[in-house]
Amino acid sequence: MESAGKNDMSRPAPLLEAVNLTKRYDDGVLALDHLNFSVFPGQTYAMLGANGAGKTTAINLFLNFIDPTEGEARVDGIPSHMDPLLIRNKVSYVSENVMLYMNFSAVQNLDFFARLGGRSKGCGRDEYRDVLRRAGLDDDCHDRKLRTFSKGMRQKCGIAIAVIKGAPAILLDEPTSGLDPKAAYEFINLLDSLRSEGRAILMSTHDIFRARDIADNIGIMKEGRLVMQRSRKELEGEDLEKIYLDYMSGLS
Amino acid sequence: MIGTIVKKELFEIIGSKKFHISFAVCSALVMLAFYAGIRNHQANVERYEASKADNLRKLEGLKEWNEVDNFRIFLPPRPLEALVSGVSNDIGRTIAIRRGSELAADGSRFGDDPVFAIFGFLDLEFIFQIVLSLFAILFAYDSVNGEKERGTLRLAFSNSIPKSSYILGKWIGSFVAICLPLMIPVLIGCLMPLVLGVELDGGEWLRLGLVILSGLLFFSAFLAMSIMVSVFTKRSSSSFLVLLVIWIFAILIIPRTAVILAARAVDVPSVDELASSKSSFSRQLIMEDREKIDGYRGSANQDMDAMMQEFQEFMNSIHDERQSKLDAFNARLNEDRRNRQRVQENLGFGLARVSPAATFTLAATALAQTSLGQKERFLEEAERFQEAYKRFMLEKTGVASGFRMLKIRIGEETEEIAAIDPGELPGFDFHPASAGEYVENSMPDIGLLLIFNLVFFALAYFRFLVYDVR
Repeated sequence: MESAGKNDMSRPAPLLEAVNLTKRYDDGVLALDHLNFSVFPGQTYAMLGANGAGKTTAINLFLNFIDPTEGEARVDGIPSHMDPLLIRNKVSYVSENVMLYMNFSAVQNLDFFARLGGRSKGCGRDEYRDVLRRAGLDDDCHDRKLRTFSKGMRQKCGIAIAVIKGAPAILLDEPTSGLDPKAAYEFINLLDSLRSEGRAILMSTHDIFRARDIADNIGIMKEGRLVMQRSRKELEGEDLEKIYLDYMSGLS
Repeated sequence: MIGTIVKKELFEIIGSKKFHISFAVCSALVMLAFYAGIRNHQANVERYEASKADNLRKLEGLKEWNEVDNFRIFLPPRPLEALVSGVSNDIGRTIAIRRGSELAADGSRFGDDPVFAIFGFLDLEFIFQIVLSLFAILFAYDSVNGEKERGTLRLAFSNSIPKSSYILGKWIGSFVAICLPLMIPVLIGCLMPLVLGVELDGGEWLRLGLVILSGLLFFSAFLAMSIMVSVFTKRSSSSFLVLLVIWIFAILIIPRTAVILAARAVDVPSVDELASSKSSFSRQLIMEDREKIDGYRGSANQDMDAMMQEFQEFMNSIHDERQSKLDAFNARLNEDRRNRQRVQENLGFGLARVSPAATFTLAATALAQTSLGQKERFLEEAERFQEAYKRFMLEKTGVASGFRMLKIRIGEETEEIAAIDPGELPGFDFHPASAGEYVENSMPDIGLLLIFNLVFFALAYFRFLVYDVR
């Protein structure tokens, strides 16, 4: 694996950190093989890779939906499998297909997940509306049932849920998959603004161009291993698509 | 946290179209069941009063008490029968009382109106057992695996929620969401007896309340079972199919099979077999009596009246002796049959209690006094009445049994004989067991329903603790 960009020693501790993270499933499949990376506050890390490369497994390990076979997925320094409930307070999650409660409005969904996210008394209606606006949802759809929403609108609602939780780290699993270019652009802008607030964002994606636009660090994964990791600066002037395809075809 | 999940379940279910449709159907059915039940009860009361009056009217004009032959007693209709019919439509509601014969109930409602026997009545038990159990499945078959399929489970568990709180919240939320609205038509239904002029005493109100409580426990057991199946199966389509199969077994197969198995295991002689044995024994006794009659030699040197009197006493004595032997024999056969029936019932009902539906039926019918016990109680009350009737007839006729000697009076002046007064006959008052006794009888089944709830939920709970929410 090629080396990542140098980390400044004066930087704060990483919010998300994979340390020799390995996962072998019960059927013997090695989904992750000694994965190592760090995501610091105010940084976005994009995991690129084909289907089955282990990107979603890595996210599942950070959420402790599964236990690691070896190594640790640390959130704010805490191994996720040591205290799953505590680390879930520190991360927000947006899935590839945000499927919320279809009989609820956007505000009702937001209220439910805000309460689950630790805001036991919920938030004010104005706060919900502000967050939904910020996620790119117009006022007229705040009280509409989710079943009338397009995929892009649901995705925005999903990010609004992640925002209202106020967690310092955000995990995004293929967040722009299936979005039209405009929706994807708006989505990336929103992520950019969240990053600028100091949140650490870990994103799995197939979208090389979006990854290049937003990510501070990019890792290319293949068959459970991180085969390349570079910072945005290191990639300047390089053709990321070619690098990616070379790794995928085994030329690198 | 549990409160948040309960609230979410509540709003999610109440906001769904399937709830609106189910609620409308359920409300209509519950209120219809109450209305139709109360009207049926009123019609049954009218029929009962008319039958009683007709029974006495038939005795009017009779000159001698010996001529009274077909005096009938009737099982009075009770309001709760109309709401939980149980066996009340199948058992005979009339018993012909004679001094020396066995009692047998006849005149069942289904016998009189067989059209109702085809499909049965729409009563509360039917609605709880069939309709609400299906609704429980409809609302909870995908409560866990459906959320997983939709991806909401994964999103929910990306937050710091204990799995125990989630599954508990789901159960409570689903139960409250469906039961609270359901209580509206049930409460309206409970007001109907008051509005339509049917009086329920305190015990009946208590028992009605417990019928509803056991219905809710039954519903809740099905809800917990549906959640359990949705935790144990991967796909919501699979859980739906599994639950439908369980429903068919619980409602239709297990109770019937249990009774069939019990019938196979415990041999109970049929009524015809019993009648045949009794008849053989009776013939044997008659043959013995004939020999006695053939050998009868009255005292000599007596006048005609004294001879007749002696002969009548002799005949009465051998008749009474025969009857007492026959009664003892019949009682022994009947008791043996009843004992075997009880063993069979206990075995059949015990096996059927594997199904929550059967348990609910047994609890509800026990509370509504429409279980098999009602038939036994009617016969016991009739037997007690028969004793009073025999004493009365002995006092009036001087003859203990139905044996009558034809008296021909020659040469005496015909005097006007006054008609008997049927009002003098002892009245039959059916005394049902006390409300407390029925409540006590139903408690094991209510407790069992509670256990079903706990077992199903515990299985769902412990399986969910290791559930893969991805």
